Amino acid sequence: MSRTSRVLTEATAAARSFLRRRTAVFFTFFFPVILVVIFGALVRTQPTGGGLFAEPAGYYIPGYLAVVVLFTPLSRVGSEIARHRDGGRFEKLATTPLTRGEWLLAHTLVNVAIIGAASLLILGLVLAVTDAALVVSPALLVLPVFVALAVALFCGLGAVLGALADSQDGVIAASNTVALPLLFLSETFVPPALLPDWFLPAVAASPLTYFARGTRAIVHEPGPWVGDLAVLAALAAGFLALGAYAVPRTD
Amino acid sequence: MNETTAASASASATDAAEAGDAPVVVGEGVRKSYGDVVALDGVDVTVGEGEVFGLIGPNGAGKTTLVRALTGTTDAEGTIRVLGSSPSAVDPQRIGLLPQSFDPPERLTARELVDYYGGLYEDAREVEAVLDDVGMADDADAWYETLSGGQKRRTCVATAIVNDPDLLFLDEPTTGIDPAGRRSIHRLVERLAAAGTTVFLTSHAMDEVERLADRVALLRDGGVVAVGAPADLIADHGGRPRLEVEIDGSPPDDGALETASGALDGVGTAATAGEPEIGATADELEIEATADGLRVLGVRPEGIGAVVDALGEAGVEFESLTWAEPSLEDVYLRLTGEEYSPRAGGGVPDDSLDDGGDR
Repeated sequence: MSRTSRVLTEATAAARSFLRRRTAVFFTFFFPVILVVIFGALVRTQPTGGGLFAEPAGYYIPGYLAVVVLFTPLSRVGSEIARHRDGGRFEKLATTPLTRGEWLLAHTLVNVAIIGAASLLILGLVLAVTDAALVVSPALLVLPVFVALAVALFCGLGAVLGALADSQDGVIAASNTVALPLLFLSETFVPPALLPDWFLPAVAASPLTYFARGTRAIVHEPGPWVGDLAVLAALAAGFLALGAYAVPRTD
Repeated sequence: MNETTAASASASATDAAEAGDAPVVVGEGVRKSYGDVVALDGVDVTVGEGEVFGLIGPNGAGKTTLVRALTGTTDAEGTIRVLGSSPSAVDPQRIGLLPQSFDPPERLTARELVDYYGGLYEDAREVEAVLDDVGMADDADAWYETLSGGQKRRTCVATAIVNDPDLLFLDEPTTGIDPAGRRSIHRLVERLAAAGTTVFLTSHAMDEVERLADRVALLRDGGVVAVGAPADLIADHGGRPRLEVEIDGSPPDDGALETASGALDGVGTAATAGEPEIGATADELEIEATADGLRVLGVRPEGIGAVVDALGEAGVEFESLTWAEPSLEDVYLRLTGEEYSPRAGGGVPDDSLDDGGDR
């Protein structure tokens, strides 16, 4: 059995397990939809320049996408690790040919598929209920790559959190603690101009910043995105490696 | 040293050689601690090829930790060789594991679970054949979470044998399974053993281990207390046949016990005079009080009538009689110090084990 077959086997089982948990599926898609409706349609940017959001509606498209590429992998992979650990599944898997890296890769693929679909839904919803306009260009084809890399990055981070936390509750708490600051301080919903200068290095240190910058350069303000893609790819590889190392093998 | 006991030289290579060919599991001085708690304290264990090796012991004795150490799912000190390799280097295709606490993805069907775990191996058995082996063929399309406890455990057993392992670790495989389900698992283990699979079985069901295991190791407080064939362990540590006499009313006082004991002395005398033999020798008959009545030790089946007559003549009225041969459970209770002894107020003191050469 090849590595590919093992990864596909694990991914198939993980996908089936997830898709049969209807509540989890519903809220995975409903959570970002709520955010779009609240912030994009109700508390939206006013034509006169008023409202909570100061930038044009299209500016916030990366922010809405960031909600799913950040929160969902962190909580899903972290919880899955806690669930595997509690159920003795890692003990069992440790005696099979499946490696920790293959396990994480399989669950990352499932997350990429789920979050890819959620991102598509969000993009359509943002365009439908806000004044945002999408810049149509060949670069739009790279948008899924940004989404996939960001999901992979946060799957890796989720694996680390899952390994460090000693329970599913702990994973959720840790995920929220990490994700909330990242979401709002990574050039997603809060423009850097609104932040103090001394804080900007922290913004630059956030992996999500490169996702926001790159996707914004594709969907809203055409500009260079290759550098952001490269940084995101490198960070994704690093966090995946770290996450694979963190996935428990023994008790 | 008693052949069936072992503290330092528990299951030797000689034992393994007797049980099969080259040993497939060798553990020497295996130690594992969790903080200040010592789970394994220098365990020596050897399992021969094709052997069904039973591991018994009280909760917390270290059974699961030993399984984890041997399967490489926990790090332990000492020398461990499994199928000629260290646990972490052994070919996973050749190992099967049913962890004690195992809860696979709950929203996969039994068939999907077996297919899933089989899909992780280079070479796996037919899913339907595996399901049939564990008696789950008719319920294979139900989600795992909707199965009964016994069906769940049988499905878990199926995931452990789907790769047709040479060495199978079953950590309490029949927990929560009804008698029919247990029998199907027993038959499965017997079939696997007959086909040459080495089985490392831990269980709290003594009858199960007595029936299935070629050799048994008894673990207590992280150390091997005894190891040997079930029959040998029973002969050495199981005690003698006993007759439980349930007495109507309050438990016998010391006076009644003395009276009954005196009556049995008479029976012993009669036996030596040519009456039906009730014990190996008259001196072997012993009587002790229990919570419900009396226990007469050393009684053979053909001597039950004589004992009853003697008790009747002594004025001891009883409600029921139960005769039992010693079993592996008696060995377990005695060597773990959990033997029920109303007079002693609990377990057998440790120093009583010295007679058997243990620890």
